[in-house]
Amino acid sequence: MGDFLEIAALTDVGNVRQFNEDSLGIDAGAGVVVLADGMGGHRAGEVASGMATETIIAAVRVAAPAFDSRDGERQPRTVLAQGIERANAAIHEAGRADVRRRGMGTTLACAIFHDNGIIYAHVGDSRIYRLRDATLSLLTRDDSLLRDQVDLGVISAEEARHSHNRSLVTRALGIEAEVRAHLASEPVQPGDVYLLCSDGLNDLVDDADIELIVIKLGANLPLAAQHLVQAAKDNGGLDNVSVILVRVRAPFAAASPSAWQRLRRLVATWWRR
Amino acid sequence: MAKLVLSRDGAIAAQRFLDATPLTIGRDPASDIVVDDARIAAVQARVVAVGHDYILEAVVGGSITVNGSPCARRILQHGDVADLADYRLKYVDARASSPIDLERTMLIPGLARVVGEEGAAPPPAVPSSRSANTRFPMGRIEWLAGAHRGSQRTLDRVVDTFGTPGIGVVVVTRRPHGFFATHVEGEDFPRVNGRSLGTEPCALASGDVIEVAGETLRFTQL
Repeated sequence: MGDFLEIAALTDVGNVRQFNEDSLGIDAGAGVVVLADGMGGHRAGEVASGMATETIIAAVRVAAPAFDSRDGERQPRTVLAQGIERANAAIHEAGRADVRRRGMGTTLACAIFHDNGIIYAHVGDSRIYRLRDATLSLLTRDDSLLRDQVDLGVISAEEARHSHNRSLVTRALGIEAEVRAHLASEPVQPGDVYLLCSDGLNDLVDDADIELIVIKLGANLPLAAQHLVQAAKDNGGLDNVSVILVRVRAPFAAASPSAWQRLRRLVATWWRR
Repeated sequence: MAKLVLSRDGAIAAQRFLDATPLTIGRDPASDIVVDDARIAAVQARVVAVGHDYILEAVVGGSITVNGSPCARRILQHGDVADLADYRLKYVDARASSPIDLERTMLIPGLARVVGEEGAAPPPAVPSSRSANTRFPMGRIEWLAGAHRGSQRTLDRVVDTFGTPGIGVVVVTRRPHGFFATHVEGEDFPRVNGRSLGTEPCALASGDVIEVAGETLRFTQL
């Protein structure tokens, strides 16, 4: 997958906070990227977000070599869902076991690239955007009180700019024994750029400016990542800010399993019986 | 704890902490904040709490003037003043009086959704809270040579790029403390005042001349 995707990532503590509780995980070979924004006192947020990225990356890394084209997105989707479940359980358990980590949790945005498609998931207010044909689109719906208020028409999107509710998320990984993540998928096109970010970016930088930076600097993805983070800091940098940019360089249809692979699988299935 | 302070001619008429909401505001003596003026409705407005916000809303169909502008609803900000006939109602929030909001991320229950869980057409996303108190300078680029000779462009966005993709492109970045030039792509590294740009951004000063992919540009900070 590494040949078909170009990936740039950056995380920064910001201007105000003492610690960076965001974590990033990337495995270009397996075609997986994970971003998590942790919460909880005593630096527990760092622990939670780190557990989320490591658990999900590990789950996909193990499973990715066996992905093939026969059933499209089903395998990666299952693997992603299982990785999220596993991460949730691990964080939840660690939070129960250690009083200093009680109630720790993390938001999540993650994606697997497979067979000319993206399979993505999120929990909380970390976001996934797609830039295609010079237009930025938000693919995820924040699990946040503010988003609920806007959806219900209690306040307008413009009024939401003035709300103090930005820090209130309605769903996070690790809080309860089970979590419902939002999973979705779509076909990708060469030239698409996907952006995963923590709320430290989109709380401070307008979508129009995010779009402009990715369009203008898309030819130099590390520079684009650096400019996004810098823009958030220039606008206050009140939170940790993290970005992962993934550009689709070329089509990446999954190979059909070879006769040898099919035979091996058949033998394995037969053997298990 | 946030509170509302009702005053008339500079004298405090009533104070009310926002510990229990909703609160009603009106002429009715049963109101939480009684505004004793014939021009005020029995119930003129109310204050509801949602998360960390207190929202002042006029009764259905009505309007209320906050900071001189009529509105149906306002997410109260520290220092807001509502006009109620001869009275002024001021919102004071000690916690939010600091210019930056350092509230840490917290988990709370979501609001009941009317639409299906995974709705078909997403409403507009929540925009940034980008503060207006960061001042960004303005700049201008003039073409001194090349195909666009004589034309100008205002630098009023976070980034703008110049040059030719594949050959040489420079980005001019607008930051609070000035403008910076950085090489983006191409074999042809842009030059500022004759010196080739390295990988680091170069601070621009008025009058600087940028050369990129056969174009010559002059930068001016306005």
